[in-house]
Amino acid sequence: MQKPLCTLNVCPLGAEECPLCAEVQRLRSECAHLRELSHTDALTGVFNRRYLMTALDQERERTRRTGLPTSLIMIDFDHFKRINDTYGHQAGDEALKWASQVWLNSLRRIDILCRYGGEEFAVILPGTRLNAAVRAAKRLRAALEKTPVTLLGRSVPITASFGVDAYRHTEELTVRAFIKRTDHYLLEAKIKGRNQVCCRKAEKGKQTMEVTVDERAALYGGNIPSAPGPARKK
Amino acid sequence: MAEISRHNSFKPVMACLSSGKGGVGKTSLTVNLAFALAQKGLRVLVVDGDLGLANVDVLLGLQVKTTIQDIMDRDADPLEAVVYLEPRLGILPASSGVPDLAKLGPEDHRQLGSILLPIAQHFDFILVDTAAGIGSSVLWFNTFVDYNILVLTPDPTAMTDAYALIKVLSRDYNRKTFHLLLNQVKNEAEARQVYEHLARVASHFLNLNLEYLGAVPQDASVSKGVRQQQPFVKIAPQSKAAMAIKSHAERLKGWAAQKSASRKTVGEAGG
Repeated sequence: MQKPLCTLNVCPLGAEECPLCAEVQRLRSECAHLRELSHTDALTGVFNRRYLMTALDQERERTRRTGLPTSLIMIDFDHFKRINDTYGHQAGDEALKWASQVWLNSLRRIDILCRYGGEEFAVILPGTRLNAAVRAAKRLRAALEKTPVTLLGRSVPITASFGVDAYRHTEELTVRAFIKRTDHYLLEAKIKGRNQVCCRKAEKGKQTMEVTVDERAALYGGNIPSAPGPARKK
Repeated sequence: MAEISRHNSFKPVMACLSSGKGGVGKTSLTVNLAFALAQKGLRVLVVDGDLGLANVDVLLGLQVKTTIQDIMDRDADPLEAVVYLEPRLGILPASSGVPDLAKLGPEDHRQLGSILLPIAQHFDFILVDTAAGIGSSVLWFNTFVDYNILVLTPDPTAMTDAYALIKVLSRDYNRKTFHLLLNQVKNEAEARQVYEHLARVASHFLNLNLEYLGAVPQDASVSKGVRQQQPFVKIAPQSKAAMAIKSHAERLKGWAAQKSASRKTVGEAGG
């Protein structure tokens, strides 16, 4: 965002009702309003796809600098077409607004809920490890499942599928590639039967003192296998 | 302070002492090696790399006013933080009991690096005493320095933890040369046996050749030094442990000579 050329709120010439100053004020507030609109989804009031890309890029940079991972949850409603077909598109819109509110109530203030497009949503969880993000996704899934939406006077149960992944500071990954990778787990949740959370499998022991059983046996008992180990091949 | 004003673009030899397991005598060996190197005429800086539970200052009974954390948090002058134990032996202390500082991120490490490099220029040899374990700061210090020294005792758990650290550093951080320094050994034969065993395991599973730096025998003068808050090389220079340290310091001095020779060669080739 560009800095304003001047931050004066009163006329520099001292005129009491300066029309130019009034116009500058009006333009400023309109600019702020438009900025707000440019990153808000008109239907649900949550952030839009444009903001998702910007925020994810910023969080990626923060991860690179602080070492704290950024997690992403991709969400897609289950059988959403049925809702539209049965209750009409306006009811479908109501369901999206309803779900957004349910999720906003289950997220932290730092989390960024965005409508990615259609009935697809995304949540950025800044400075959050994969396991914590998976717990959050499970909370969102359960919250939606247990609070049916009222459409045309009828209580309609809705569910969604969730894919979760985390970006770590050691990775070279574009924002698009990160979304695509997370989408892969969303697809997995769909294939496995919907209304569930799928995520990247955490690499076991990567950060811990990982000594294999064979290595331990060799260290303690002097029992070194005669064949060269797997690390030996070049 | 007269010592510190020359060699503006000079980069000294940096080595760090790590162990995996705690309580194997890292800090004591670091301080004594530094003292012996200083006695050999080198200007040595000990960096207390145990950023959360610092203890170099405790071991030496130093009055610390400014720490590495003060430099990072409020831009304290790094050179004023250095406490001189001897004219040629400086200590850069850290804070104790500051848990969050033990978990630094990449940006903090970059800052730490930019703090250490200018200070380092005033010394010939930097010895970093890292924390135990395999935390992010231990890994970072080990990739920041030229030489990785692994301290261990003949205890199997010390051996396993040292091996684990070697494994992570070689696999994830591409470090390929490790110098083993055995502490609290009964005799040279025991030290050799432990080294050869660990070297065989590392060669088999990690395809690495471990270097033998040497051993420091069990010696009452070591604990006497800790009690008196003095390097044992200073208070018991003829003790077995002190003699061993002095001989290892000679090896380390060789690293400095090597670096200075290669710098000259590069300089001549470039000039």
